[in-house]
Amino acid sequence: MSNKYLIVIVEDEYNISSFVSAVLQANGFDTMVAHNGAEAIILITSHCPDLVLLDLGLPDMDGQGIIENVRGWSNVPIIVVSARTRERDKVKALESGADDYITKPFGTSELLARIRTALRHVQLREGEQAQRQTGVFHTGDLEVDYDKRRVYVNGEDAHLTQNEYKIVALLSKYSGRVLTYDSIIKHIWGPNAKQGNQILRVNMANIRRKIEPSTAEPRYIMTEMGVGYRMAEGED
Amino acid sequence: MDSSAKKKNAKLTWRDVGITIGTLAATTLLCYALRPFAGGEKFEAILFVVAVLIISRFTNGYIYGVAASILGVLIVNCIFTYPYYQLNFTLTGYPIAILSMLSAAMITGTLTTRIKEQEQLKIDAERERTRSNLLRAVSHDLRTPLTAISGACSVLKEGGDTLSEQEKNKLLNQIEEDSQWLIRLVENLLIVTRIDAPDGGANIAKESEVVEEVAASALTQFRKHFPNVKVETHMPDELLLVPMDGMLIRQVIMNLFENAAIHADGMTKITLDISREGENAVFRVTDDGRGIDPNLLPHILEGDFKRSVGSSEDKKRNMGIGLSVCSTIISAHEGKMRAYNGQNGGAVFEFTLPLDMAEMELYDYDEQQEDE
Repeated sequence: MSNKYLIVIVEDEYNISSFVSAVLQANGFDTMVAHNGAEAIILITSHCPDLVLLDLGLPDMDGQGIIENVRGWSNVPIIVVSARTRERDKVKALESGADDYITKPFGTSELLARIRTALRHVQLREGEQAQRQTGVFHTGDLEVDYDKRRVYVNGEDAHLTQNEYKIVALLSKYSGRVLTYDSIIKHIWGPNAKQGNQILRVNMANIRRKIEPSTAEPRYIMTEMGVGYRMAEGED
Repeated sequence: MDSSAKKKNAKLTWRDVGITIGTLAATTLLCYALRPFAGGEKFEAILFVVAVLIISRFTNGYIYGVAASILGVLIVNCIFTYPYYQLNFTLTGYPIAILSMLSAAMITGTLTTRIKEQEQLKIDAERERTRSNLLRAVSHDLRTPLTAISGACSVLKEGGDTLSEQEKNKLLNQIEEDSQWLIRLVENLLIVTRIDAPDGGANIAKESEVVEEVAASALTQFRKHFPNVKVETHMPDELLLVPMDGMLIRQVIMNLFENAAIHADGMTKITLDISREGENAVFRVTDDGRGIDPNLLPHILEGDFKRSVGSSEDKKRNMGIGLSVCSTIISAHEGKMRAYNGQNGGAVFEFTLPLDMAEMELYDYDEQQEDE
């Protein structure tokens, strides 16, 4: 009877899981809570949820192990919950297949936004997979024209170089989601690119000077310190 | 403390081995050089005693001094005593020479070790004092909001129906505000423990960051807590790369914003300027409030936690921790930080960090190539 999305919350702290569960239920989601890794795997395999909210620090097993296990057989979106100081863990989780992350302590609006973005991307993946790189992407006054391979701000050509265009196009394709430095570099410069993400930083600095009204308050491409970049959600 | 002293004695380091060999070699050369002026006098042994003294003073532990005295005796015996370039242990006075050099090494070694222990004790005591000051300040800062939170909760629970909707909201907002403040305090404490480790902050991982990315990240975080404070930014046109631990520098900027938002009375806006001065990037956070009390100015960055503890007029929370975290982070980055009052009377907090010149020149060049 219920056509609500089911979210599995994997969190060992009782207080946090009950507050997250309450927030999600109040916003129209069904929730189930697992307090350790073993429970989580059982819940995920037996209920096939629409999304998994996964705390990386669990008592019985590493959250990383759960991501790898689940990714072995399912594409269910996974959002990782992690402490602020653990940038490496976030990158590792994203690289082994997590869809996004949220940093503790987080606000409820932030949490809901991440969940909605992740759910929307599943629909996109299933629906219009092939069409995504043709047509036009819009967010605010920014427009990415995939056919002309150009980026416009307020209708004016931003004069991006080849690589700059490729970076913006890639981020816009995954708008609302964070992409790690490494994954962007692999896409743009190929798998044998030189080590280090300096070249990406420099390109991004140049892109921002061309498309953002203020580099200190970017509206279109946000930096996730130590992790990667995130393009603002597109508007249709 | 004990174990660290032991470690120093046990460990052979390249530096100390270098000092030992270098001093002995220099002494040997000096002996050669002075020979023509000595008129046949046996001065070499005395010079080697001096060398052993020097080595014992500037190395850690006894081992180098003892090794140097044995080597010294051998060198004098072999090179500077007839028959030249052979060892001869039958010479009279030989045991006296070796004994006097050994005892010089032992005595100097003991004295030096003791002096070093004293210095270490003093440093440890100083660190201990800072730590207990910090602990006291933190306990004070924790107690107030925790009392407020638990008080508000019990009012909400017991008051139930008698409270108006407006009163309930007010209490809930207070709880939220206080707990967010606690979160930020703990964030700062975690940073202190990360940098203030016994290895002196060796675990700071520096990577070249683009300055406006760090500024933007700090601003986003700040906006979450203080959505109504106006912040103006002036970023450099040129690309500035600074080797840093981005999370830590972000914390510095956030702390400075927060400090202005909470403490600058009459403030209408905060300004963040980042610019280049020679081989440094300068970050400047300015507000248009009433400025820093001139009495506090000399100590404001030193983490003088005592000042605010127990002072009854301190209704607002003490930012001693936040500011001292800032200066700890900046000095761990080999940067400089200062605070002063600006021309308009507002407070200015300014820090400089060295630029990654090599990397910046590299990309400057790349860009020109691409343009052509």
